[in-house]
Amino acid sequence: MTFFTDENLALAEEIIGRYPKPRSAMIPLLHLAQEQEGWVTDDAMTQIGELVGTTSAEVLGTCSFYEMFKRHPVGKYVINICTTMSCALMGAGDLMKHAESRLNVKSGSTTPDGLFTLEGAECQAACTEAPCLQVNYRHQYRVTTDQFDELIDELALSDHDVPDHGVLSQIRQHIPEDRSVGAVPPEDVKVAPVWFSEDGGS
Amino acid sequence: MSEQDVTEVTVTVNGTEIEAQSGEMLIAAADRAGVHIPRFCYHERMSSVGMCRMCLVDVDTGRGPMLQPSCMVPVSEGMIVDTESDDTKRAQEGILEFLLVNHPLDCPVCDKGGECPLQDQTLAYGPGESRFIEEKRHYEKPIPISDLVHLDRERCILCDRCTRFADEIAGDPLIQFTERGNSTQVLTFPDEPFSSYFSGNTVQICPVGALTAAPYRFKARPWDLEENESTCTTCSMGCRISVQSSRNELVRYLGVDVESVNHGWLCDKGRFNFEAVNSDERLTSPFVRDPDNQRQLLGTDWGSALASSAEAIRRAGPQKVGIIGGSRLTNEDAYAWSKFARSVIGTDNVDAQLGDGLPAELVLGLPPATIADACEADTVLVIGPDLKEELAILHLRLRGAATKGRTQVVQIGAATTGSDSYAQRSIRCQTGEAAKTLSELLSSDDPLAKQLSDGSVVVILGRSSVAESVDPAVATAAVIQAELPHATFLVAVRRGNVRGALDMGLAPGFLPGRTRISNPSASLTEKWKQIPEKSGLGTSEMLQAAAAGQIETLILLGADPLSDFPDRNLAADAIQKTKTVIAIDNFATSSVAQADIVLPATAYGEQSGTTTNIEGRISRVAQKITSPGSTRDDWMIATELAWRLGGDLELTSKEDIWREIEQVAPSHAGITLERVQSSEMFEGILVQQSSIDLALPVPKDTPVADGYGLRLISGRKLWDAATTTEQSPSLRHLAESPSIKVHPNDLQRLGIPSGTEVRVISTRATENLTVTADDNVQRGTAILPFNQPGVGANRFIDATAVINDIRIETL
Amino acid sequence: MGYLGGFKVTFMKLFEERVTTEYPKEKRPKPSRFHGRHVLNRYEDGMEKCIGCELCAGVCPARCIYVRGADNSESDPVSPGERYGYVYEINYLRCIHCDLCVEACPTEAITESKLFEFSFANRSDAIYTKNELVVGDDGLPQRQPWELWHEGDDLATSGWMRATASAGNPDYENRVGWSGELGYGTRDPELGQHDSASDEKPETLAHEHDQLEDVD
Repeated sequence: MTFFTDENLALAEEIIGRYPKPRSAMIPLLHLAQEQEGWVTDDAMTQIGELVGTTSAEVLGTCSFYEMFKRHPVGKYVINICTTMSCALMGAGDLMKHAESRLNVKSGSTTPDGLFTLEGAECQAACTEAPCLQVNYRHQYRVTTDQFDELIDELALSDHDVPDHGVLSQIRQHIPEDRSVGAVPPEDVKVAPVWFSEDGGS
Repeated sequence: MSEQDVTEVTVTVNGTEIEAQSGEMLIAAADRAGVHIPRFCYHERMSSVGMCRMCLVDVDTGRGPMLQPSCMVPVSEGMIVDTESDDTKRAQEGILEFLLVNHPLDCPVCDKGGECPLQDQTLAYGPGESRFIEEKRHYEKPIPISDLVHLDRERCILCDRCTRFADEIAGDPLIQFTERGNSTQVLTFPDEPFSSYFSGNTVQICPVGALTAAPYRFKARPWDLEENESTCTTCSMGCRISVQSSRNELVRYLGVDVESVNHGWLCDKGRFNFEAVNSDERLTSPFVRDPDNQRQLLGTDWGSALASSAEAIRRAGPQKVGIIGGSRLTNEDAYAWSKFARSVIGTDNVDAQLGDGLPAELVLGLPPATIADACEADTVLVIGPDLKEELAILHLRLRGAATKGRTQVVQIGAATTGSDSYAQRSIRCQTGEAAKTLSELLSSDDPLAKQLSDGSVVVILGRSSVAESVDPAVATAAVIQAELPHATFLVAVRRGNVRGALDMGLAPGFLPGRTRISNPSASLTEKWKQIPEKSGLGTSEMLQAAAAGQIETLILLGADPLSDFPDRNLAADAIQKTKTVIAIDNFATSSVAQADIVLPATAYGEQSGTTTNIEGRISRVAQKITSPGSTRDDWMIATELAWRLGGDLELTSKEDIWREIEQVAPSHAGITLERVQSSEMFEGILVQQSSIDLALPVPKDTPVADGYGLRLISGRKLWDAATTTEQSPSLRHLAESPSIKVHPNDLQRLGIPSGTEVRVISTRATENLTVTADDNVQRGTAILPFNQPGVGANRFIDATAVINDIRIETL
Repeated sequence: MGYLGGFKVTFMKLFEERVTTEYPKEKRPKPSRFHGRHVLNRYEDGMEKCIGCELCAGVCPARCIYVRGADNSESDPVSPGERYGYVYEINYLRCIHCDLCVEACPTEAITESKLFEFSFANRSDAIYTKNELVVGDDGLPQRQPWELWHEGDDLATSGWMRATASAGNPDYENRVGWSGELGYGTRDPELGQHDSASDEKPETLAHEHDQLEDVD
């Protein structure tokens, strides 16, 4: 099964190399797959299974557990409006209603132009900034309906610094050699990784 | 935990002090003490997960009673447990009320209804009424997750038994929990079915009706099932099963948990091939060849069929009669035939194996090991067939020993096998050269050599490929005998009761009780009228003699040489040149269709007796249903024929036969009929080991490969064109149509793209086949599975050659 | 009075209402809980109620019922759900009309009619199969040539009565406990079992059948 591009495949191998057991790389590889396609395709799961030495069913089991891995196509921007207590009290319901009419889709679906996916979400840990929402998991605080419209306009014109859905900086993070535990079984690690040291390795 | 750390602890359960072993789970200790704690997810053969919370009990470890899941709490000294406290009862009621929130309660249409742990425990421990009035969760009703298993997600209570089994025991984690929270469900990956060889076990261990078996679907309800404890004879593993029937029709087999053999598990082939017994294609009356039209068989009565059979045997005389087969038979039937052949016909041309096993010399003479020995040994050396395909439950036991225990599995072979995933080392050698590779390994400074010579070793020895003769296996045995004298052997011969047949003397040169024909026991000489003086012919020699016109009457005792003998050309030639072929069988197999006289025999489940498994363990085969038409037990056919030939076997019942076996067979002395009918037979009785002096034949050397051909490797697959598989509607489509597998570089060298049809040429035949490139095949070899539907490997094999080479050409 | 006393009794009887009937020309009404031969009911949409669960066969003390289930085809289902009874046979040489099958049936598929007058010329005719047992398109039992029927005998088909309330609760009442039935529709709620004096039977089709019989 070939899903990853050559470049990403090389990166995938590198990611696998960071862990004592290949299976541990499953979640980072799912992120990588989501970054490549915007969502996690069946082909991606099959290839990840092959790369980490397990069955596609096990990859599916892990992937489907986490809500942020999308197993169906989503828009370029995924908008999660918090619907939990603080936000609900501060008008998240109205915001959702407004968003639905503005984007002309029901919560949980994608606009026909493939730009926006609107979703309700549980607490995003920004209760002091209610009502809040996330665009591709980047916070927007105290969102009013006007601000929402403004945000949509900006996003539609790509006049915003939010990357496409799936792009996560951690995947690209380069771990310097001296800070990497590498593919060594934990019991064989002689020296504690630098970030365990008191000065944080800096 | 190592064995030394285990100590006895005392635990108080419901006011009674019980002894338990430290480290063991409370629920297991309670089980042994006879206190039943309700459970769904806990299974004694799998690790505890504490998913269902049904086994919550009050546990007091000095800090006051607390509800704890007894499947997750190891016993400790002084623990006070109350499984009947008010808190426990409230917890049980609560858990059951929760489990039933989404359970559809469609018990009347559910195959599990009537034997369902959820039903039973709800009745015993449930609250009676539910406070939930909301709509239940709905999913599509049963979805097939494999050809044999249906999944109804509405009924699932997420106990993790099936998924745990697939991962831990079977090693095929193809089903998984997906989603989470309220929508958690067991699923396969899209378009990747749960095609495990062991999928049927998940149906058996499912505590609700979420997993149901397609072959049993709506066949019967538990209350109209009758059951009998029996032993599966699909392969030589001898798994203990419960044979269940309804209205005189076999409908289900369930695995029975015995420590020494199968731990309750069964392979799907063994579990579902009961369908063959019920097949409409069964032979139900005798047939003889139409004298006017040689291409047609005419139905006849037993009297005339037996008369013509007896006449054919008499006419041929003892030297020109051959008997092939007998591994389908019970021990008693095999004994009757062995006695009939020797004492009435006067021939020693008998062989239960079809040229695809190992010489009886090796099977009976090598120092034996049990399955348990193998699972406790330091090293298990596998030099033989792919165990997952041929002895699937042995594979499961070894996998368990390797993944959970300390046993290390080492393989030496030419092809990849199903054991690669758990083997410590898989050493690849050229086909036929395992002996050489092993002796090189033992003389090297590889740490494995030391491990083998210092630790306990059990060798699983068999034919790695039907396309190679017995010589490489004999050579391997010789090397091990010389270099590793402490090693014991589990000889991997796979046919149903082949061990029992050999024990009963259905092998040239051997008499019942693992004695040589030259050295019969006194009681045997007394009971048997005559014993031939010199050894007769084995299957291969018999067929060669028949092809040369030296055999006049050939008796096929449940044998189908045209499909099962490695060399089809020789078998076909032999059957054609033999004047009278008498076939005693359940089905009109390709060989039976060529026979001159066909006698229908009773099948599995229709006859009682004993069978002997791969390690020499005798266990019971029980009759459950009456046989169709006028079929007869094999021993009856032998006694009838003997009578018509002027002899008398003096055998009148299976019990009678066993009494005689116990008297005449030295290895079976002491295994009296009373013991065979006692509860000792639940685990089976291990036959005392033989005392024959092993005289290994001198093996022929493996010829060097020429540069043009590919060495043919032909192993068996679990799903093949075997008669019982073909006759089971649910199983017959599971065999893949064969393609010959070759390393991509070899294909490239020949300029043939993968997936094309090519001409395959051997010394025996030229046939067209599809070729596929496969990285796992060694260079210079070609893999074609044996006995698959379509062009079989047996067309290409020359049984007299040590190794068979083939060539591949473009069309 | 002498011997005339005896004649007097005979003579007086001439003017009394007759208690004997000219059976079989004339039939007396059956008691409301009379158990006759079975019928297999269907839902209002014509689907069979039987799901082939074999509970009736399991509970039968006379072992006279033989049921086998089969998979419903998706395109042409016989009953709602996965399974239907593809074999259903009752041997009336063995049946003791105890009605336990009716009690056991989870879908009210099998009920007993008040038809009991039939004779057979051979043993195999005594085995009613699905062909004979399933109700016709009007929801009424199908008349077999060997059965003695009078006008209206078939109307009291659906004489189904639950002996115990759900979970054994005697206060369980006035809830519709059954599904719609071909020819009868949905019936009225069960009446509680604790106070028969307050039971007022509502006017329904099924109830009319009851009245037809209860002439005493």
